[in-house]
Amino acid sequence: MTASGAAGSIYDLGYRGYDGPRLGRRHAIRALFAHSLRACYGIGRGGRAKLAPIILGGFATIPAIVGVGVLALARQMGAPGGMVEEASPIQHATYFGIIATLVMLFCAAQVPEVLGRDQRFNLLSLYFSRALRRVDYAVARLAGIVAAVLVFVILPQAIIFLGLVLSAPDVGAEFGREAAFVPPILGQGLLMSVLLGSVSAAIASFTPRRLYATTAIIVILAVVPVIGGVLVRLGTPDLARLVALVSPMDILDATNAILFGTTAGGDVIAEAGLPDQAYFAAAAILIAAAIAILVRRFQRIAA
Amino acid sequence: MALISLGALTKRYGSITALDGLTLELEPGIIGLVGSNGAGKSTLLKILLGLLEPTSGRASVFDLDVRTHGTEIRQFVGYMPEHDALPPDASATDLVAHLAEISGLPAVAARERTAEVLRHVGLYEERYRAIGGYSTGMRQRVKLAQALVHDPRLLLLDEPTNGLDPAGRDEMLDLVRRTGAEFGMTVVVASHLLGEIERVCNFLVAIEAGKLLRAAPLGSFTERTGVLAIEVEDRAEDLAAALVGRGLEARAASSHAVLVALEDDRPYDIVRDLVAELGLPLIRLEQRRHSLEDLFRDPSEAAA
Repeated sequence: MTASGAAGSIYDLGYRGYDGPRLGRRHAIRALFAHSLRACYGIGRGGRAKLAPIILGGFATIPAIVGVGVLALARQMGAPGGMVEEASPIQHATYFGIIATLVMLFCAAQVPEVLGRDQRFNLLSLYFSRALRRVDYAVARLAGIVAAVLVFVILPQAIIFLGLVLSAPDVGAEFGREAAFVPPILGQGLLMSVLLGSVSAAIASFTPRRLYATTAIIVILAVVPVIGGVLVRLGTPDLARLVALVSPMDILDATNAILFGTTAGGDVIAEAGLPDQAYFAAAAILIAAAIAILVRRFQRIAA
Repeated sequence: MALISLGALTKRYGSITALDGLTLELEPGIIGLVGSNGAGKSTLLKILLGLLEPTSGRASVFDLDVRTHGTEIRQFVGYMPEHDALPPDASATDLVAHLAEISGLPAVAARERTAEVLRHVGLYEERYRAIGGYSTGMRQRVKLAQALVHDPRLLLLDEPTNGLDPAGRDEMLDLVRRTGAEFGMTVVVASHLLGEIERVCNFLVAIEAGKLLRAAPLGSFTERTGVLAIEVEDRAEDLAAALVGRGLEARAASSHAVLVALEDDRPYDIVRDLVAELGLPLIRLEQRRHSLEDLFRDPSEAAA
């Protein structure tokens, strides 16, 4: 088909229809998942959108890189085996705790960016008028956010892992020792990303205003543990137990210690003295509640 | 089978009734949905998309129930919302390609279709720039492009000329008309401006306060659209009588004004001749726009 007439340029081939495949919901969900993951790191956005993820990601990974570098240097200079590794502050078991605040800030900064944007610019009507259900939207967006947090928390652990293995005099033996850390790293990394991602998403879904969402996430994640700490000092173990079970950051502190076989860093967990399973159950309940709230919110929101 | 079928469709928001027992069958074509603001146009489009749940009644598109087959229907429906719905920080290409994928198109096809529809709506080099810097006209084009990108069978446009200047309106209407006529796509255009909509559609649906006023081919609306208002210094009654004597439908509205039904250009000459014959000082000759409601009354009623 060629266009004719004064208005048509020689490049105007006329409109052609689309006869190709229509992949439906599944493809839509995958595309939205990938979009959310990228959006969490500001990929496909302007330079300003990349600022927060780059700075936070930098703070989270640089200590791992430096630690591994120092260790590799010490090994080359012939430090006795095992000694430097134990003395190093960069350990698999403590690293999640070291970056916990950065992970929280990452969630507080980026989750409202992804979810609030769709509401702020009325994009939901464009999404919901396509081959997608509202539940699909909520799940795909959440999955992308969780994946982004997972990358954030696993990357430095992977750097430590690779650095230790590759700089070891006996790579095979070091790999064997390090492999033991893989299950707790993946377990805690997944738990952290799912719990913080879903709680942040549930909060952020309620407002198009980024500032409100960011503030609310920080309050829930950072202020609640402080309250717990105060309560512990006041000598009220029952309340401390309660805080330990509703505060995502305290739950993660406890599960990290359980999975790596160390002792928890915070007073709240030490004071609460709850059985191991309680923390995993609390995490599961919080995750389920957050997802339910998120899905319900998007099922009701006007578009 | 009808493309869109509504049966006693009702939507209430609390105590407000947005749609009140709408029953209607629509065949493929370019369909104008006219009504004043708040008549229920947007509500109807959103129900067809499954964005809103009807309170009662039935609505189906492509013979599929909107309540149960939303995703199947939406795969073949394009929607241009009334309000601004574009992120300022993305480029038109990125946004439209992303939305094409959400419509189920594979990534490569989504890119190709995006280039195609952006060219169709008249966005060229600027499509790589962030939408935040676009004019209203360009933004409306992006909204139309995202509705077209997956080559839908049904296109729902909610006030596509919103916020555009006269030239922009003309371009957008021309685009809508071409889209419907050349692609063989069924288009439903919702607008409160009858003058605009009658330029692009071949079927009109008029709703008012959620009720169906009339649904008919465009021709039957335009049969009796015009009224010629003649203002004279005095003796309007004489002029009216003389006009009736020449076989025109005329009546004196006051001692200064005569209204003549205008079906073709014939009355102009007769009025000129009679005014000269009677020696009347002619003050004004004006083709009057009907109010929407006048237009949608049955022709028999309007004549009365």
